[in-house]
Amino acid sequence: MTHRSQNRLLGWAAVFLFLQSVVLTLSPAARERSWNVDYRASHWIGFAVWGGCAYLVHRALEKNLPEHDPYIFPAAALLSGWGLLTVWRLDEGFGLRQTLWLGISSAILIAALRLEKNLAFLKSFKYIFLVGGLLITGLTLIFGTNPLGAGPRLWLGVGGIYFQPSEPLKILLVIYLSAYLADRANIRLTSLPMLAPTVVVTGLALLLLFIQRDLGAASIFIFIYTIFLFIAAGKRRILLTTGALLLAVLLIGYFLVDVIHARVIGWLNPWDDPTGNSYQIIQSLLAVANGGALGRGLGIGSPLLVPVSISDFIYAAIAEEAGLAGTLGLICLIWLILARGLIVAQRAPDNFRRFLAAGVVAYLGVQSLLIIGGNLRLLPLTGVTLPFVSYGGSSLLTSFIALYLLLAISNVEDAEPASLKDQRPYSILAGIFALGLFACAVAGAWWAIYRGDSLLARTDNARRAIADRYVLRGELVDINNSPINVTTGKSGAYLRQYLYPGLAPVTGYTHPVFGQAGIEASVDDYLRGLKGNPTSLILWNQLLYGTPPPGLDVRLSLDLSLQKTADELLAHHTGAIILMNAETGEILVMASHPTYDPNKLDDEGDSLSRDENSPLLNRATQGLYPAGDVFLPFILAQFDGELPGDSNLLAYYKESGLLRAPAIALPVAERDFPNELEDLRAIPLQVVLAAAAVSNEGVIPAPRIATAVNTLEQGWIVLPALDNAREAIPARAAKEAALSFIHAGDAFWSHAARGVIGKTTVNWLVAGTPPDWQGAPLALVVALEDDSPAAATRIGATLMNAVLNR
Amino acid sequence: MSGSIVLIARLLATIALYGFLAWAFIFLYREIQRQGAALSNRRVPGISVMVKQPGGRGALKYFNQAEIAIGRDPGCDISLTDDTVSARHAHLTFHHNQWWLEDLASTNGTRLNGLPVETPTVITSGDEIQCGGAGLNVSLSENVIIEPTQRLEKQRPSKPQ
Repeated sequence: MTHRSQNRLLGWAAVFLFLQSVVLTLSPAARERSWNVDYRASHWIGFAVWGGCAYLVHRALEKNLPEHDPYIFPAAALLSGWGLLTVWRLDEGFGLRQTLWLGISSAILIAALRLEKNLAFLKSFKYIFLVGGLLITGLTLIFGTNPLGAGPRLWLGVGGIYFQPSEPLKILLVIYLSAYLADRANIRLTSLPMLAPTVVVTGLALLLLFIQRDLGAASIFIFIYTIFLFIAAGKRRILLTTGALLLAVLLIGYFLVDVIHARVIGWLNPWDDPTGNSYQIIQSLLAVANGGALGRGLGIGSPLLVPVSISDFIYAAIAEEAGLAGTLGLICLIWLILARGLIVAQRAPDNFRRFLAAGVVAYLGVQSLLIIGGNLRLLPLTGVTLPFVSYGGSSLLTSFIALYLLLAISNVEDAEPASLKDQRPYSILAGIFALGLFACAVAGAWWAIYRGDSLLARTDNARRAIADRYVLRGELVDINNSPINVTTGKSGAYLRQYLYPGLAPVTGYTHPVFGQAGIEASVDDYLRGLKGNPTSLILWNQLLYGTPPPGLDVRLSLDLSLQKTADELLAHHTGAIILMNAETGEILVMASHPTYDPNKLDDEGDSLSRDENSPLLNRATQGLYPAGDVFLPFILAQFDGELPGDSNLLAYYKESGLLRAPAIALPVAERDFPNELEDLRAIPLQVVLAAAAVSNEGVIPAPRIATAVNTLEQGWIVLPALDNAREAIPARAAKEAALSFIHAGDAFWSHAARGVIGKTTVNWLVAGTPPDWQGAPLALVVALEDDSPAAATRIGATLMNAVLNR
Repeated sequence: MSGSIVLIARLLATIALYGFLAWAFIFLYREIQRQGAALSNRRVPGISVMVKQPGGRGALKYFNQAEIAIGRDPGCDISLTDDTVSARHAHLTFHHNQWWLEDLASTNGTRLNGLPVETPTVITSGDEIQCGGAGLNVSLSENVIIEPTQRLEKQRPSKPQ
């Protein structure tokens, strides 16, 4: 029966890993949405070696331990295979190394199974093992290195192979404690002289690890020691006392040790410092959130964004690509090993083997809980590995030694277990592990499902920028469908190109480093395909590729030929021009100078934001200019040709809503209303709206710039205006005002104004079509920051003539 | 297209993962069933105890359970009224295919065939047990055949033939 169940379980594990390998092979095709890609193949070496190792160990177990536990090995094999494929997916070089380590660990396991079955030698040489382990760990104080070059020096390196002695030291401590306590099982365990040797040994190991700053291993030692005392003495107060002590140590460490301080702060308030102390944990949570329920599929997510995803954060990497479904399975596998381990402990034929099995379970359980809880922000981060799964030769080898011990102990020839005085500690231990793993499952669901969307919308989620490289972004086109901003290249290397760079302050940019600005930002949902597409299509793309569907084109009301004329007129001046269809509110021209070239953002992005001329600013909607009497035609129409007093005028500005921020698909500057008329400021958009009312029979139109979106099913559909048109002045008064502002020889009305506040001077020109104009009514504003009234008038007149004579 | 095929492979992989777990739980369930059957099948050979109390007539008691408590407490299987017997004085247990006598730290001690019992001791038919002032005569059922463990293992009904 044993062999048959183990056979069947290993078969399922092999099928799972085979399918995962298939997914990894095909993953580039899914990413780039094409069959014509470079497929991944090297990980099949890992799968083949895994299969060979699993088969050989299975045979060795059948032969040497006929009565062993049939669940532990298949679960451990599945975990290590899964870890191996994940490591291979993250980094092929490390994948090859991990494959080698899997082979070595399996060979050692098979050799151990053949040579020694009853573990008596461990008991006899307990002190030699322990002292050896401590000495080797001590060597890292002198010869320690770190394979990554920086960070704690916890490894011993020989010829490119690195070994972390604190990993096997955990098992050596377990062996020593089991042997020592098994010999004294009948004596009272609460007496200090009894425990002195274990306290000294554990304290020594702890001291060593504290000097090395290997806090993860140190906390595991404390937990293992506690669990041993608890199992041997059966007193619940041991757990409570240690819990209180650990909390105290944590508090003291919080105030005195900078590493602990940083970790605790990063744990309690990760959102305050997302780029510093909390960078790792937030990236880990983002990976979990991106996994969602089903995961992105092996090779299709972006787990490499999480630092050290290969070892400490491998759980986050698995969560991203296998999803909640996968991590729940992973947690069940860990639980299977722990639960079977505790059963093995209870059935063990003597106290030494019973304690040894329980200690191994404690080691595996505590370490798994610490790192999974750390990845999910249930616990402060401790840099330990996930047994069987994480990359690392020392970690894998130690996990396999633990596996060997459990399997050897489970093979009881004598059906009668040693007498057990008190079964309760084992139940409590099982309960604690079950609760901990359950908490991990709930936390995983919380971040992946409940908080998933809000996490993924964070600006520090680089996955959005990665998706942009693989998914076609919609184009921005002008009123005649001439392209303005387009995406070129092939999937995996899509690049945004700006065909009319002069419009940059208006249309903005989308960039992996600098983010988004202008219209690119305000209609991003359409361009990215998240709006305007059917919900089913969005969900389907999310499921298949983990990205939004291809984006939709957005049409702007801008007319590129007029825009070009305006830009040529504005040239080197600093200022803004808006030409608006006074009836519909559509903006035909919006120019803001100085401008910049978003195609060169990679090189110039940093200097642009520091440029004192603020080229990034869209002066047409964000330039808060001194208003002067720029609203004169509008005001005269409103007050029947007589200018009211200053205080009445100010009150009118305030109540009429003329100076509130118009709603439009662009960022608009806003400022508190001033107390003095001289301090009045206005943005060109507000001025042109007032001018539009004069040319449009007194109605202020709703301004629009993004006018339509090209959907898949219905073609171009109109995007509604964000604001409402409203009647501001009587139609007759507007007509009279327009007529009174037509200067001799002009075919349009116009008004030049000058606003001064402090050192800021602005020259305005507002203009519009006359009442008898047969075509669409137009309104124009020109605002120049340099002190040349003539230039503003000339630019305005030239542009008006060009438009009217078209 | 590529995405759909990879999605199918992804779903199959998840199903395989849960297939593993489902089989593990099926095997666990069968194991529990088997163990229950094995335990209920395990027969405890009967034991007869002749209880002789000072001043009273002897009484013969027959048990077929694996643990028999002896003491002054009325809840004990063999309840003795003698004052020299502790509340829970000693017990007889059947394991490893033998009956064992163990003293439960009684005040006046337990003696087997005149010798004090300090560790769990195997008893055989005809043994005389002395708990304080009370005496017990043990006789084991005739049909007990002491077999090597190995054969019992093979008798376990692991595979329904």
